[in-house]
Amino acid sequence: MKLTSRRKIALASSVMISAFAMTATFQSSSKAADCGTWGIAMHAWNGYTASAQVVTEVAKAQGCTINQSTLTEGGTTYDAMEAGTTDVIIEDWGGGRWQKWTDRGAVVLVGANGNVGKIGMFVAPWMVKKYPGITNSKNLNKYASLFKTADSGGKGAWFEGPPGYTTIGEKMIKANKLKFKAIATGSEAALISTITKAEKNKKPALIYWWEPSTLFVKVPGLDKARVNFPKNDWSDAAKASGLTDYPATPLEKLATKKLMDSGSVFAKIVKNFKWTNADQNAVAADIEGGMTPEKAAQKWIKAHPAQVKAWLA
Amino acid sequence: MYRKLLERKGYFFLGFIALWYALSKIFFDKATWELGIADNTSFTNVVGDAAGAISGNRTHSPFFVYFFNPIRLFINGFVDIIRNLIATPSNGHAAPTIGWLGVIAILAFITLATSRIRMAILVITFLLGCGALGMWADTMDTLAMTLAAVLLSLAIGIPCGIWAGLSDRVLKLFTPILDLAQILPTMVYLAPLALFFMIGEASATIATMIYSVPISIRITSHAIRSLNFSPVEASISMGATKKQTLSKVQLPMAKQMIVLGVNQTVMAALSFVVIAALIAAPGLGKPVISALTIQNTGRGFVAGLAVVLVAIMLDRATSAAAMKQKAFIPPTESEKRRKRLNVSIAGAVALGATIASHFVTALGNFPDNFDIATPISNATNSFVNFLVNDVSFLTVGFKDIISIRVLNPIEDMLARAPWFMTLTMFVIAALVLAGKRIAFLTFVLLSAIAATGLWFDAMITLTQTIVATLLTMIVGVALGIWVGRSKRADSLLRPFLDAGQTMPAFVYLVPILGLFGPTRFTAIATGIVYSIPVVVKIVGEGIRSVPESMIEAATAAGSNVRQIITKVQLPASKRALMLAANQGMIFVLAVIVIGGFVGSGGLGYIVIMGSSKPELQGKGLVAGFVILLLGVAIDRVAQAASRRA
Repeated sequence: MKLTSRRKIALASSVMISAFAMTATFQSSSKAADCGTWGIAMHAWNGYTASAQVVTEVAKAQGCTINQSTLTEGGTTYDAMEAGTTDVIIEDWGGGRWQKWTDRGAVVLVGANGNVGKIGMFVAPWMVKKYPGITNSKNLNKYASLFKTADSGGKGAWFEGPPGYTTIGEKMIKANKLKFKAIATGSEAALISTITKAEKNKKPALIYWWEPSTLFVKVPGLDKARVNFPKNDWSDAAKASGLTDYPATPLEKLATKKLMDSGSVFAKIVKNFKWTNADQNAVAADIEGGMTPEKAAQKWIKAHPAQVKAWLA
Repeated sequence: MYRKLLERKGYFFLGFIALWYALSKIFFDKATWELGIADNTSFTNVVGDAAGAISGNRTHSPFFVYFFNPIRLFINGFVDIIRNLIATPSNGHAAPTIGWLGVIAILAFITLATSRIRMAILVITFLLGCGALGMWADTMDTLAMTLAAVLLSLAIGIPCGIWAGLSDRVLKLFTPILDLAQILPTMVYLAPLALFFMIGEASATIATMIYSVPISIRITSHAIRSLNFSPVEASISMGATKKQTLSKVQLPMAKQMIVLGVNQTVMAALSFVVIAALIAAPGLGKPVISALTIQNTGRGFVAGLAVVLVAIMLDRATSAAAMKQKAFIPPTESEKRRKRLNVSIAGAVALGATIASHFVTALGNFPDNFDIATPISNATNSFVNFLVNDVSFLTVGFKDIISIRVLNPIEDMLARAPWFMTLTMFVIAALVLAGKRIAFLTFVLLSAIAATGLWFDAMITLTQTIVATLLTMIVGVALGIWVGRSKRADSLLRPFLDAGQTMPAFVYLVPILGLFGPTRFTAIATGIVYSIPVVVKIVGEGIRSVPESMIEAATAAGSNVRQIITKVQLPASKRALMLAANQGMIFVLAVIVIGGFVGSGGLGYIVIMGSSKPELQGKGLVAGFVILLLGVAIDRVAQAASRRA
């Protein structure tokens, strides 16, 4: 018993001594710069991931600690910013739905990020050749019966965007007098699987989609499969009966007031970050091709030193 | 006599359903109260305005300043302490305070001290496994969140459980609340919680607790109540005070059950990991959810695998600790001494490893140079691609048959008929099946649903729940009979059933989506996968508990296997079948709501939409409330019906 307890002590102390010895040799030299610790919201779509990851990598190189949190867009994220859970939205499509939050003051509109969003409805590309004129909204009713499914109640299936995204499908159907029914899809994944399978098996499909996006690379011909709707006519407000098409939207950055007032490098990066749809597509394509978001972002940063330097100025 | 009555009831029901169907055809598409996706009713507008007022007042209303905000800050602080300890790099440090080596050493040490060395080895292996999957940081976040939620749950659950164990009045008061908390689909209370506690760790922790506290209360009170009464009586008769009896007799005797309660609380908290990520809970839920939205099944599967590893590890370790409390033969002095020595050596090693992992970065951040996540994720993706491309012609055909032949007719009956007709028919059915009291309750609940204005969507969700439950019962009962009759089948299926119960539903949502596309059936199929394990287990248990003598008698009388199953085993386990149907339905409802992510429409879709679109926030909250009403109605009717059976 005596022996064992002595052995115990010996063991414990030798472990401790070696631990401290290692401490002396290995003591980490990483000392965080005064950028601080900040959060960035991660939304679901690939383009967003590209932008947010590039911003994250640039900030990390400046010594910032950045926590990415997966959040659904819109209200959920504005609430999270108000609660201090996260600080930045790098791409918001919501044309003013943040109003209540910015009015209260904790969330501020930082400005456009350079990307322009254009939502629309797309048919499966193979249909463009087979059914002439199908991309003209006036002809859609003629082909409506092609789009019928077991779920669409005798009308054509109009696969609507995910619940959080800007969607006006029902209003468009009404204003354009279409024989279609908006079908809730729920997620980007649902739309991708619908269009890729339809294209592969030569089955009809009409889906909600948007630019900028790498799906146009994955599904060749999709860019020519956009259905053209009449532009919203706002010239005479009294006459305008409803929304006929999605408008082109400059995408916005939002951040917490706390971050923007902090004087941190990260605030500067968020404020200055600006790039084109082509830039975003390049990074997003790499991510979709199997690269990790970190590596894809690093690759773009290495290739565009001047642009990155401008964000830091 | 009784049998005859039952048969007559069967005919009555066939006639009743035929009449219902005919009526719904006659009044097709009249007074359905169908509402556009983006449309509000005056009621949802009122709720939306109220919600807006609440979130606008969060900084200055006294309710928030003196009640909600302190709770939020306390829980956030509590969670952050644990996270800084093991999960996130603390200030000015490249790794968490305790690095990966330290965490493994400490957990292995705790396991060794509370159970056996084999268990400690299992813990080490599984933790290394999570690290090798590239999920170390997320695993630690999940552990931290679970630990925080479990500690807080036990702090509330055990005292309340003891109280309910000692007093009948308290138990009576608690029971309906506990029932409610357990049938409530988890998606439902995320939005209201976020309204009061905002998006973040606090809301996620409280949401988890709503689910896990009832379980801890229930098991603790059961533990106190199921004690042998004579020692308690002896203690009282010897003049011990109530307090003495509780602390010296009742609690020590109930210890094993209470530790089992800890086990169940941990499992409940863990089952919340993924869904809590919807309100920004850090951890393994994040990669699972983002895999769903960007359709990378492989990455979601890897994260799901880590969830399963953590679940098995915590389950085994805590139940081993519970088993240990049971040993009746006291260990000998030398055994005790040996154990003490082993534990203290392990303790010293763990301490050393912990200190080392604090200072050495390589022992702090899990090394990422051996990567098994990529091959697993790629293999999963190519398997799913194979399914989606080469098998889906079969599945789509099956989906269409079910949609057109089963789903659409039932939807026509429930949703596309006038609302008051459906309501009346339901009340009549409840009257016959379950009696006056339940019929009245059904009337009240359904009227409340109608009053919210979301009747149509509620019926859509109910239709899917009914169809999914029917299909689940067909498959589940068949498998349950097999499991109940054959030990081999049981040991063959058990791992799948266990994994199916711990694997978060979100993980297989994506491959099922690939098979069926964004349709109502995708949600139904997910519901079936999720609820089959519980149905199989209950039915199997029921079949197994049929007395051997009954089967022997039937065999002696010359019955064949089919006759034994249909005439002896199934009728004798009728209660188990009804319980399975009830549980199956509650499980299915929980997943049908999640199905809003993959095209089920209905209430789940509205809940999801409400969390993102400020103008539909009220509608989302109301939809959550309607799901609650629907859940209570289903549960009450099914329970009353099974009591009558």
